[in-house]
Amino acid sequence: MVEVNFKNVSKKYEDGFEAVKDLNLDIKDGEFLVLLGPSGCGKSTTLRMLAGLEEITDGDVLIDHLKVNHLPPGARDLGMVFQSYALYPHMTIRNNLSFGLRMVKGELKLTKDEIDSRIQEISEVLELSDHLEKKPKELSGGQRQRVALGRALVRRPKVLLMDEPLSNLDAELRHQMRKEIRRLHDTLGTTTIYVTHDQIEAMTLADRIAILDKGELQQHCAPMEAYHNPANDFVRSFLCKHIDELVDTANALFKKPGEENE
Amino acid sequence: MTESRFMRDWYVPVEILTLRSWLVVSFIVHLLLLTVEVLRDDSVSLLLGFIVCILFATLRASLPKIHDQGKRNISLALSALIIGIGIFRLVSSSLSVFDIWMHAWTIIPSSISLWWLSSRAVTVWTSNKLSTSAIEFGLLRNFETIKKHENFSTHLILTHFVFITVIPLIWIIDIAFSPGNALGGEIGDSFSTEHFSKILEGDSFWIWFVNSLIVSIGTSLLGLTIAIPAGYAFSRYKFTGRDVSMFAFLLVQMFPGIIILVPYFLVMKTLGLLNTHLGLILAYCVTALPLCVWMLKGFFDTIPRELEEAATLDGCNQFQVFTKVVLPLSKPAIAVTALFSFLAAWNEFLLALTFNTSNDMYTLPVGLASLISSTGQAWGDFAAASLLVSLPVALLFLFFQKFLIEGLSAGGVKG
Repeated sequence: MVEVNFKNVSKKYEDGFEAVKDLNLDIKDGEFLVLLGPSGCGKSTTLRMLAGLEEITDGDVLIDHLKVNHLPPGARDLGMVFQSYALYPHMTIRNNLSFGLRMVKGELKLTKDEIDSRIQEISEVLELSDHLEKKPKELSGGQRQRVALGRALVRRPKVLLMDEPLSNLDAELRHQMRKEIRRLHDTLGTTTIYVTHDQIEAMTLADRIAILDKGELQQHCAPMEAYHNPANDFVRSFLCKHIDELVDTANALFKKPGEENE
Repeated sequence: MTESRFMRDWYVPVEILTLRSWLVVSFIVHLLLLTVEVLRDDSVSLLLGFIVCILFATLRASLPKIHDQGKRNISLALSALIIGIGIFRLVSSSLSVFDIWMHAWTIIPSSISLWWLSSRAVTVWTSNKLSTSAIEFGLLRNFETIKKHENFSTHLILTHFVFITVIPLIWIIDIAFSPGNALGGEIGDSFSTEHFSKILEGDSFWIWFVNSLIVSIGTSLLGLTIAIPAGYAFSRYKFTGRDVSMFAFLLVQMFPGIIILVPYFLVMKTLGLLNTHLGLILAYCVTALPLCVWMLKGFFDTIPRELEEAATLDGCNQFQVFTKVVLPLSKPAIAVTALFSFLAAWNEFLLALTFNTSNDMYTLPVGLASLISSTGQAWGDFAAASLLVSLPVALLFLFFQKFLIEGLSAGGVKG
């Protein structure tokens, strides 16, 4: 049971800017939560506080009912996919994937065979087996994206974090990877938190979405519920209106010639 | 009709285009050559050189425009005149390599302009019979030829610069391989390796060599040990006094080295570090550090922060992030920095001369200088030794060339 809870969490930077204000958010075990909002709304900051890359000014962050506020990032047992993938350029794909496993020390230290079998397992799932001895720069954007996913997943993390992972891909690949990510989540059942500013991405991927604006939580519910019952004007314009406009544009584009005069 | 007028305005034969720039170059070259004439103190030659200068400027100014038969004729006449003067000066000169080269700069450009100005393309262009198809053909011809002209021009100019750079080297090599310790004589008139054997068989060269090696390697090692963490800290952490200390680093570099020479000497004397390797290593490190730290900081800045964050999430602590991710990625930058501090120490003269006064603590540059004493000036030995001193540096550069370019153009560490 891996739950993630944000309890009255806020983040204030030194210059006085308040990125996140008094956030309360509960993520259920095995849930796919999408943090959605315009840029600068604090969604990335929220994710980075959970990952331990950003200090928490106030409140508690709980993973699996444990307060992790002061735990170093490596000890929180998380996997994270960065927007720029952040693959280690000097290592082969195999070493990129195994780096986290090799860093485990003490009782939990993995043997070489264990590491190899984990790598094999994950590279089969992500269709990377042929590329294990290559360097990241030899791979295409989609393949790099899959390596980044693999690196996050190979540690069997309690929670998988993704920070706009698809925004560097072209439309076709993005569509593919979206399906892939959802498929992976359905197979592995890892609690996942996904940050995006793309409404469609949020609607198609999420079990539940949390919509943020100016550091405040606007609505937290299933995607269709947010669409049908927007909690306030912001949600209405950012989510509902945007989707309606997209649908209208698509309809206008693909209208059959006979219907033109209606 | 308007269309062909429009095209006509755009079309200038490639010959004229090239002449426009090359006559300017010739003018400048002759202007520089005037100084040689002044040095030679030959008034007739100076006067002729001056005239040629003026003629080139006039020729450049009188290059024809479209439909300008008159100017073309003037240009033709001027070119012929310059050729005439050039040939006269060449014949009346002493025909040394320099003279031939100098007068070639008069004769060749003017001959080319005579030839090109009388060519068919320019003739048609300056006459009144330019049809649209002729312009089209001319533009195509320009497109095909102009690259060749540009290539030739750049190579010609670069060859001149290379030659200027290489002359002192050739001279030194010639002296090193000539018997006797005198300067002068024609290049390549005699050959002997006596200076090399004298230097290589003597003890002092090897003592200096070892001294230089110890000091240089010590400097780059100690320098890097300090500069790498410092550069990383400057690049990644915000701490009080960060900006001030970075500026202070540069501040020291703004003063000429001679200013800190005396204080340095006093410090070294107090510490008892005169005539030691350590003293020089310390002093060189201080001078080399600012550059090293700035270079490394610049490189670390280009390594994306996300890489380090990924490593933290993979379970690295701060030190492991540095050793396992940042350092391996910085290899080219570190190599370049090491090379620079090595070279700085290898070539340094002033501090070494001041601190290490005993003969067996000399570094190579100081040792070299000691060959040219007030009593006997062993130019041959000096030349041979200076070649030997530069050899390791040249080899290092050849060997590290790829690394150097990679390090200097660093930044391409995208995932």
